[in-house]
Amino acid sequence: MSVKIKDLTVTFKNRVTAVNHVDMIIPKGIYGLLGENGAGKTTLMRVLTTVLKPTGGTVSLDGIIYGDNTYEKIQKKIGYLPQEIDLYPNLTVRECLEYMGELSGIEKTVCSQRIDFYLQKTSLAAHQKKKIRQLSGGMKRRVGLIQALLNEPDFLIVDEPTTGLDPEERIRIRTLLVDFSKDRTVLFSTHVVEDLAATCNRLSIMKKGSILYSGGIRELLEEAKGCVWSCYAENEEEALELEKSYHVSAKQYVDNGLKLKLLCEKKPDADCRPCEVTLEDAYIYITNMKDY
Amino acid sequence: MRKEMKICLPVYKVLYSAAFIVILSIIRGISRISEIGLAMEPPVGLLALVFCADTYWIEIQSKRAEVFKLCPLKKQAGAVRKRLAIQMVFLTGCSAMGYGMFYWQKPMAVTGGEQLAEFLVFLAAITVTIMFWGTLSMTICNIFRNIWAGIGCTLFLWMTLNSQAGDRILGKYNIFSYTFRDSYDITNLSWLWGKGISLLITLALAAAVPLILKKREAAL
Repeated sequence: MSVKIKDLTVTFKNRVTAVNHVDMIIPKGIYGLLGENGAGKTTLMRVLTTVLKPTGGTVSLDGIIYGDNTYEKIQKKIGYLPQEIDLYPNLTVRECLEYMGELSGIEKTVCSQRIDFYLQKTSLAAHQKKKIRQLSGGMKRRVGLIQALLNEPDFLIVDEPTTGLDPEERIRIRTLLVDFSKDRTVLFSTHVVEDLAATCNRLSIMKKGSILYSGGIRELLEEAKGCVWSCYAENEEEALELEKSYHVSAKQYVDNGLKLKLLCEKKPDADCRPCEVTLEDAYIYITNMKDY
Repeated sequence: MRKEMKICLPVYKVLYSAAFIVILSIIRGISRISEIGLAMEPPVGLLALVFCADTYWIEIQSKRAEVFKLCPLKKQAGAVRKRLAIQMVFLTGCSAMGYGMFYWQKPMAVTGGEQLAEFLVFLAAITVTIMFWGTLSMTICNIFRNIWAGIGCTLFLWMTLNSQAGDRILGKYNIFSYTFRDSYDITNLSWLWGKGISLLITLALAAAVPLILKKREAAL
């Protein structure tokens, strides 16, 4: 199961091009989609879910090309967790999932078994009689994830599932995604770099509708290798000078001043030494410094 | 069905519709039993158009529509029709109760048989009225994907038809033919034309539900 995107363009009626000639292959397993807010990630995902018809280009899922005649067939293979979703507030967790299952056309007993399985997996079994409106943000996201998985989709699309969650819930959601990515394709969109670092090996980086990078995380880190420097500034003025001259990916107060992480292809004109590249550094490097 | 009821009949909707009917029965004066139906039909039509406008729009508003759209079209249309039907049954029940509340005004007494006949005719007419205005407002909302457009356009039509001009131009074919009928002449059933037309339009709109749901958002 793989998804192939070829020369995909989405231009809206207000002439804004949200996705600009994108080529991408999403293989089996978790695939990350990283980009700042407004980069076009959600628009790309909406095309992949068949909700939005693109202006140009093609998308195929397991060899089936997206089109009016194939949408229904494709939809059966897709599970989607949108960025924001208010599930039925007056229904209990179980009722809500049963209802979503009925709508998806899943046989009642099969649906019930799957609900039990996923409730256990997501540690929500004890909360299944609670109304959706009584749940915390993280619990709601977990219920949303279950609804996306109920029809056992081959292609799971999750749009910023960890936004607004506390660290514990974020880790829980990430772990669940990794568990569920076995035997299926998962597209995990986020602007939180560490979420991808913890879950996937391959990713694409989007900026202003275009793909800046597609490939492995290791290769991405390699690209930024030798461009990340650690240095100390004695005071705020000195730090400000450095910030004016270089991209700063981290800044923190330490005992003897300020510690900064600079991104620069050559050694900066300051007392600094090369340091280990994190995915965040590589992301900043790709989106702000590298010429494409 | 229970889940659908919980979805489409939230407490606030139940309360405002009940309050609307109670207030209507208090402020709208009648003297004869046959006037109850005339007093109720247009306001209940108005209530139905507001009440049912969000039948599918709640999916868009709560950002569930994109998940809802992944379900088979038949199931989507079935769910929307089921919700619409539940709301209509509820409103018809409210209207029947409202009819009884008008008796507080002690209308001129007629025989028991006549009272029952008047009530059954009212029930049939109000059911069609609710079905028509509810389905129409929901359809316009779905087409424009905007609840205010749905309510606004339907309200404009409601005002046009519920007017002297509407009665003069359309006569027995008016959607509000039951309201404009001669309530003294119970043998005149020409108002059934208007109700028949309402019913046909309602059925056509209900049949069009899958076509509207199928519509995909298109980029340029």
